[in-house]
Amino acid sequence: MHFFIQELVNGLTQGSLYALIALGYSMVYGVLKLLNFAHGDLYMVGAFVGYFVIQWFGGSTALSIPVPLLLLFMFLAAGGGVGMLGVAIERFAYRPLRDAPRIAPLITALGVSFLLENTMLLLFGASYRDYNTSAFISFNTGIHIGPLNIDLVQLMVIGLSVLLMIGLTLLVARTKLGRQMRAVSADREAAEMLGIDVNYTIAATFFIGSALAGIAGVMDGLAYNNIYTLMGFIAGLKAFTAAVVGGIGSIPGAMLGGMLIGIAESMVTGYISSTYTNLIVFGILIVMMLVRPSGLLGKVPLQKV
Amino acid sequence: MKVRISLAAMALTALVAAGCGSSSSSSTSSASSSSGSSTQAAASGSSSKSCTTSIGIEAPITGQVAVLGDEQLAFAQLAVAADNKANGTNITLVQGDTQLMPAQATTVTQQFTSNSKMVAVVGPAGSQEVEAVGPLFGRAGMAFISGSATNPTLTTSGKNPTFFRVVSRDDVQGPEDARFVISHLHPKALMIVDDQEVYSTGLVASMIPVFKAAGIKVDHESVSQKVTDFSSLVAKVTPQTTVVVLPWQVAANGEQFGKDLQQEHKNATIVGTDGMQSSSFTIPGSYVSAFGPDITAIPSDATLVAAAKVKYPKFGTFGPPVYAATHVIDDAIASVCKSGQTPTRANVLAAIKATNEPTSVLGQPIKFDSKGDLINAKWFLFKINSTGKYVLVTNS
Repeated sequence: MHFFIQELVNGLTQGSLYALIALGYSMVYGVLKLLNFAHGDLYMVGAFVGYFVIQWFGGSTALSIPVPLLLLFMFLAAGGGVGMLGVAIERFAYRPLRDAPRIAPLITALGVSFLLENTMLLLFGASYRDYNTSAFISFNTGIHIGPLNIDLVQLMVIGLSVLLMIGLTLLVARTKLGRQMRAVSADREAAEMLGIDVNYTIAATFFIGSALAGIAGVMDGLAYNNIYTLMGFIAGLKAFTAAVVGGIGSIPGAMLGGMLIGIAESMVTGYISSTYTNLIVFGILIVMMLVRPSGLLGKVPLQKV
Repeated sequence: MKVRISLAAMALTALVAAGCGSSSSSSTSSASSSSGSSTQAAASGSSSKSCTTSIGIEAPITGQVAVLGDEQLAFAQLAVAADNKANGTNITLVQGDTQLMPAQATTVTQQFTSNSKMVAVVGPAGSQEVEAVGPLFGRAGMAFISGSATNPTLTTSGKNPTFFRVVSRDDVQGPEDARFVISHLHPKALMIVDDQEVYSTGLVASMIPVFKAAGIKVDHESVSQKVTDFSSLVAKVTPQTTVVVLPWQVAANGEQFGKDLQQEHKNATIVGTDGMQSSSFTIPGSYVSAFGPDITAIPSDATLVAAAKVKYPKFGTFGPPVYAATHVIDDAIASVCKSGQTPTRANVLAAIKATNEPTSVLGQPIKFDSKGDLINAKWFLFKINSTGKYVLVTNS
């Protein structure tokens, strides 16, 4: 039982990160029908912002401020900074192509992804950077019952992710901005005719999605320490898969898809073998997509006759 | 509108610059070549005119293991500079960034083999890359010497007729590592994890039979080099599993595996190989085997150590073998020139085959067998002490 819980928590930790990134994919697809392939790289930028905040305050072994305050600054800087970066990307790379054929912004998204990766590579080099989290959040914190060891960082990652997801769900369901986002997602032209500021709504969507990716990047650094400029590719790919499995465009679907992939990876590694993790996990996902092509919580589009 | 145009121009400039930085483009190569040649020409004096040629280096200068590639490049540059001065040659070094990816290595090799001025190449670093580029070099009749590719099949398959290496093979290092683990760490059960690259799977394949023959229960796992979360895998480390063998190329991943072990309060000892010997892997009590020596402990390498500490202060064991490989090529070129010939791929290849250096920076003679393997290649094993320093335990 201990082993099962350990693997479940490990899977939930990784799944939370996939889910947060998947939310951005899903939100952007919802309002623009665009697959923003640069989204994984925003997650990478967020991880670097968090790293530099640690360095700014003296480095992991000589922090000049209390840890809770450091974490707050890291999340604010990564969320705010990457959110603004997302808005800038939308404004200058995607908005001019909003009415172009759908392949154009798709290619642009790939270009933005390479631009971000290589710019970071030029600025900060290719070497791994180490958050060294254990230097300021001890491994002895958290829950330790016999062979079960749940780190405080893992609890924080899962807890904060759930809070962010609940917050986002409430924002979309109960606020004016959320109504505007849903309206733009349903029919952009009709929303514009009804007086909704479409540009503002789309920019806000990019900000929120990108901020979540930035925060996920910081959480990745805290949980897994190593960050590097190409880390966004695999994470982005997994998160994109999560968004599709959950039903692209669906916020609860993105969360569910992310968690499912994280837990499936962990369980297959724990109970079968890490050698077959991707094979089995993606095999299951293919079967799921064959059975339910619109994703677990995706809506089947109405067919006009 | 103006803002948009200037931002677009900035983005384009950044993209172009980024593209140049991340690949083995000719502009990078020529920049490094020209700066190198001016220094070298000054050093070599008039004789350089009669022995002027270029060699290439294929290394992961960017990407996940850039730490290794940068070290290899620095040592190759040191070797070329020193040899030009000593031999009166004018050899220029052209860089090729492979990112440790076979596809990228293939592109770089195609560029190198189509460069008629290039007579030999140092590298590539990874066995998987050598597998990809060996036939291309063979077709071009161009010698290439790796300072870190250790998979046995590279020299036994017959597919890489112009390939040489200055390091020991996995079928020497792997079983030796395994025997050390059995005799010194006495595990009843162990986990061995490959990183899904040729280098790693080759070493694992050579170790597992030795462990099983000793009656040790082996849990063979496999994770991609791109994975940075090992918590699920570490959860499988049972109290009986006292050793985890990680023949990995990315030291930072090994460090994270060690931290995951600490986080889950597991006491298994990590035994890594080659790529793990780096300042990025400092889990106390771990062992790392390496194909290269600690040159700081070799008195005759004092000059090289002093120069290396200036050029690449955090060097490990990946640089010195590349220095030795570059030196072999440089000496082959010098011997061709001394015989009155102009260096070509064919005569440099023949001279490399005839290499017989009684000493080298690796603390051992360099002479190749008919397949391109180093005769009597050595193997080294280090332990990381409580301060994170590597201490030599044994060598063979």
